[in-house]
Amino acid sequence: MNLERVMQVDRRIIYLFVAIGTILPIIFVIGLPVSITPPVQMAFDRIENELQTGDIVLMSFDYGPSSAPENAPMADAMLRHCFSKGIKVVVIALYPLGGLSEAVNELNKVTAEFPELKYGVDYVNLGYKDGAQAAMKKMAENIHEVFPTDVNGTPLDRLPIMKNIRTYRDMKLVVSLATGIIGEWWANLVNAQFGIPVIVGPTAVSAPKYYAYLEAKQMAGLLGGLKGASEYERLVVNRYPKLGEVYATPGLYTATKGMDVQSIVHLIMIAFIVLGNVVYFTTKRKPRKAS
Amino acid sequence: MPSLGTWLAAFFTLCMLSFLYKDNPFFRLAESFFAGLSLGYYIGIVMNQTLKPNLVLPLIQDFHANWNLVFAAGLGVILYFRYVKRVAWVSRWALAVYVGYYVGVNMMQKLHGEVIPQIGNTMLSLRYSGVDTLSNLVMVVGVLAVLIYFYFSAEHKGVVGGVSRIGIWFLMISFGAAFGYTVMGRVSLLIGRMVFLVNEWARPLIGSIT
Amino acid sequence: MKRQLPLLLTFLAGTIPIVAFFVPERHVGLVSTTLDSWLIIVAGFALLLGVVNVIQMNANKIHRRSSGWPYAIVLLLSLAIMGFFGFAGAFDMFGGIATRPDGSSTPFDWLYKFAFLPLQGTMFALLAFFMASASYRAFRARNVEATILLIAALLVMFGRIPFGEMVSKWFPLATEWIMGKPNMAAQRGIMIGAALGAASMALRIILGIERSYLGIGKGE
Repeated sequence: MNLERVMQVDRRIIYLFVAIGTILPIIFVIGLPVSITPPVQMAFDRIENELQTGDIVLMSFDYGPSSAPENAPMADAMLRHCFSKGIKVVVIALYPLGGLSEAVNELNKVTAEFPELKYGVDYVNLGYKDGAQAAMKKMAENIHEVFPTDVNGTPLDRLPIMKNIRTYRDMKLVVSLATGIIGEWWANLVNAQFGIPVIVGPTAVSAPKYYAYLEAKQMAGLLGGLKGASEYERLVVNRYPKLGEVYATPGLYTATKGMDVQSIVHLIMIAFIVLGNVVYFTTKRKPRKAS
Repeated sequence: MPSLGTWLAAFFTLCMLSFLYKDNPFFRLAESFFAGLSLGYYIGIVMNQTLKPNLVLPLIQDFHANWNLVFAAGLGVILYFRYVKRVAWVSRWALAVYVGYYVGVNMMQKLHGEVIPQIGNTMLSLRYSGVDTLSNLVMVVGVLAVLIYFYFSAEHKGVVGGVSRIGIWFLMISFGAAFGYTVMGRVSLLIGRMVFLVNEWARPLIGSIT
Repeated sequence: MKRQLPLLLTFLAGTIPIVAFFVPERHVGLVSTTLDSWLIIVAGFALLLGVVNVIQMNANKIHRRSSGWPYAIVLLLSLAIMGFFGFAGAFDMFGGIATRPDGSSTPFDWLYKFAFLPLQGTMFALLAFFMASASYRAFRARNVEATILLIAALLVMFGRIPFGEMVSKWFPLATEWIMGKPNMAAQRGIMIGAALGAASMALRIILGIERSYLGIGKGE
């Protein structure tokens, strides 16, 4: 076989391998185990061991559809964790292109699993706000002026949960599910200037940079991409076995199931990279025939 | 049978995926539709979530306490003067405040929120105490070598050249790791769309036929 | 007035958050937080600036019958539909822009779920295919640096998947060490360098040395 021709294979053949490698494990779920890494364990422990029932967590939806398959499972797992432990959640969105709708739809989905929770008492959705950094700074002085109403226009003084929340000081933790740079701002602006602990769930693309913030203790935990989300899912199911029933719902998209597919596609890509290099070194050693 | 919404979502997903075969009118149609929807989305969130609750309602409900917001509205409106030739220069006032503010905030974010804590956290003990010392050494050498690689005021020869070469190696490890993570991220997005096609569109469709 | 006032405004708007950071005095804080409130509103107006630009550009395209003008009609039409439901939502028509109290979708949310989300999601999902093809053709161990890059990439790709963990528990451990130590060190080096660069650029803008963003040259 002419090895050089292997390198000139139509790109659509490669696409086909990737597509099949993605679809088959979705149809036939493998169920590979996921191990826990320290940054995710730190995030889980912060909520599990250092927060009490009734404490308030601010959860910011800083992502849109472009990264929802990574960020949404993180949001779901963290919401489920907070609600299972009796922690109250204040939801906001600072990402313009879809943050609001993601916050609305994910919150609707998870709260439907906890019928005992009351909107405005156990959780609230304050909606989206423009000018992310300006909003973050202003929230240190008065959240009610940044979000005078909730997502549907209800004034905050009609929502019991917001009566005792004026600034970051009234909350125990910020969780940001982030694409792009907004997650960094929670660390280098809000944590640095106002001191509230921050956990960020960034997309895998930006996760490598977040390790620097984590190491410098500017963040209390890190969930890097789909892998981070799948680890968090495992941790909450281990701690709250009741959630296992939710995660076992047939057809429900979870990060853990996603990691099955991830395994196969990564192996395909690794195989292609190795093949490309084998061909490169084999053909490099052979003297080229004069054309 | 999948709902009308699911059919629409599947149609748009397939239109976008058709680009993998080659550029075609279905892809161009979906692309244009997407660009329009994005901008329409902005109109919805800005009007409904920012301008209404933070500007219009406070001014209507309690003008006396919120009169200063008129200046904010004024700055916002004069941004649009750029479209009127005769007064286009006035839009610079709003742009100046907008850029000035964010640059000032960003400067403190970078110096106080990045430079100081990151440098502080690099000052690690190198006294031998086991495996941790190796990690500390890697971190200290890595940060310094990368900084020297980006330092262009001295020629990269001799010791500086050698250290900057180590800096390149650290950068390559980081870029390799970033590549691996980027693959993971992009594949995750593909998984999201394929899960939708298989579980929410194809399965109910096949179920309704059989 | 045309040139000096914008520079003065930039200086004032840029210095207020910096002074407020260092001076914990009530009045200074009040000025700074008032500016924060203003900028939330100005940012909203600025976001819509892009909408005006795109409408202008596409209307011209249709008017001139430039190539691909029918797509410009599609763009403006979808902008009008989504924009209409968004605008009407601000006046509490159709139940707003989120979901109704019974959990059903408003037209704005419906369009988000079934049109905007699949379109944007798939647009970015395409990159997975392009990355596979590009890395097959171009990711080569040509020299020492490229080999380090390649090994790190393969190790991370293998060590981060459950399959790698099944082969050996050392793969996830090695991956986490790479991410937490050498990768972190390089990211920190880049971060410190970039932050110093950004801070010096910020200073140039606040002091009026850099003024190209206003469309005025140095000598003007």
